[in-house]
Amino acid sequence: MIKAKGIAKLYRIPHEKTTTLFELVLGYIKDQVTYENFYALKNVNFSIDKGEMVGLVGKNGSGKTTLLKILGGIVPPTEGEFQIEGTVAPLLSLSVGFHHELTAQENLYLYGAILGMPRKEIKDKLDRIFDFAGVGKFRDMKVKNFSSGMIARLAFATMVQTDPDVLLLDEIFAVGDKDFKPQCFSVFEDYKRRGKTIIFASHDLTAVAEHCERTLLLDKGELKAFGKTKDVLDQYGGL
Amino acid sequence: MGLTRKPESTMKKKKLSHYLNVIYELSRLDFKLKYYGSVLGLLWSFLKPFMMLAILYVVFFYFLKVGIQNYEVYLLLGIIFWNFFADTTKDSTVGVVTKAHLLQKTNLPPFVVVTSVIVHSLWTFLITLAIFFIFFFALGLHLTWSALTLLLLVPSLIILTAGVSFLIVPLHMRFKDFGHIWDIFLQMLFWATPIVYQYTLVPEPYSRWYLLNPVARIIIDARNAVLYNFFPEAKQLLITIAITAVVFAGGWLVFRKYGRTFIDEL
Repeated sequence: MIKAKGIAKLYRIPHEKTTTLFELVLGYIKDQVTYENFYALKNVNFSIDKGEMVGLVGKNGSGKTTLLKILGGIVPPTEGEFQIEGTVAPLLSLSVGFHHELTAQENLYLYGAILGMPRKEIKDKLDRIFDFAGVGKFRDMKVKNFSSGMIARLAFATMVQTDPDVLLLDEIFAVGDKDFKPQCFSVFEDYKRRGKTIIFASHDLTAVAEHCERTLLLDKGELKAFGKTKDVLDQYGGL
Repeated sequence: MGLTRKPESTMKKKKLSHYLNVIYELSRLDFKLKYYGSVLGLLWSFLKPFMMLAILYVVFFYFLKVGIQNYEVYLLLGIIFWNFFADTTKDSTVGVVTKAHLLQKTNLPPFVVVTSVIVHSLWTFLITLAIFFIFFFALGLHLTWSALTLLLLVPSLIILTAGVSFLIVPLHMRFKDFGHIWDIFLQMLFWATPIVYQYTLVPEPYSRWYLLNPVARIIIDARNAVLYNFFPEAKQLLITIAITAVVFAGGWLVFRKYGRTFIDEL
């Protein structure tokens, strides 16, 4: 279950980009620091039930990733509040912060720990993760030698093993091959049956239409529509 | 049934063990990355204070003729305490930058990253301190009961260092040139702390300000306890602990408020 109430995210973008303290102080003295108030999200309200997989569509820069980052607890919202029941796993980019100088296995221990699995548990599940990802041969290879598709598979496979209650997905099929997609969707269908909640942000509208009952449409940070996927996609097409 | 604990407390317990796990994994990997491909590896961490000791000893004992008894031990204790403070604060600011990819992509709490850095340098500190005592006894020196004060002073130093780390990490995330400011500040503080000289050399009107520096207070008391066999004054000790507590509380409050705010700016 996810409930969002009046969520807004404000980014203050200095007109003349000040990055150093010196420049900022200088700017204040000369009274030159002016900000552009950019709302990445404005007053977003919605409520998603258990066992629902909801699509999230919108043009580039409409606030999809920002919304998922807020729900995933990565950045705080500027205004508003939200409620999430159970454990949350954000999958916001399929590199999920793997360290390139470490081997696949070492990365999984860290990533698994971040997702809430103790070392022993990951150890037991390691074979299953590598099997699912189909990259078992490369266990001890450094991640920098992996293709982006392989990294995506590993990240997804690890996430699946943590069995989260809420799954936040941001454009996860960008790098996967033709086998990866059906593999993911069979997981999602299983999650739906087991009463887990999924938000699926994607530009792959066919996939959204096929798997999501309801869909959220963001435009310039505002929630333009939330309802039956077909209607929302029609509205998105007209934007 | 057998459910005696409240669900809330089990959640908290689960959370704590989760954080401990992540801290463990992070320090483990940091360790691997830090010494990957280096010949002496871990030894470097322990060589550094002794190299510093050799340099400062030669300059101050032979060239400047500082007349402090057992100057090598005097100096080494100061260096070890100082290095823990300086290295940890510096490493925590660097740590959040090198972990930017994790902070931005997963819901890893920033305080876990900082804590893992502190834990990492704490090991080095404690092992170096053990080496110090081997050195100490090898020179034929003896400890008395006053050395027990270390059980208060060492935790004070750790809490103080943690507080300062929490305080400066958000600043470092927000301002790109904070790293340089901190470098200069540490250099100033090094000379404003009685590491190579005795604090009694500080002229009268300034000494009361000088003694506001908590690192200086801790080092002075630690030397008194270990080298000169006397307990610090209770009042002075309380002031040290009070300063430490205030710094930690302030640092933690700032970090709680701004720790996540600047993740996007890393």
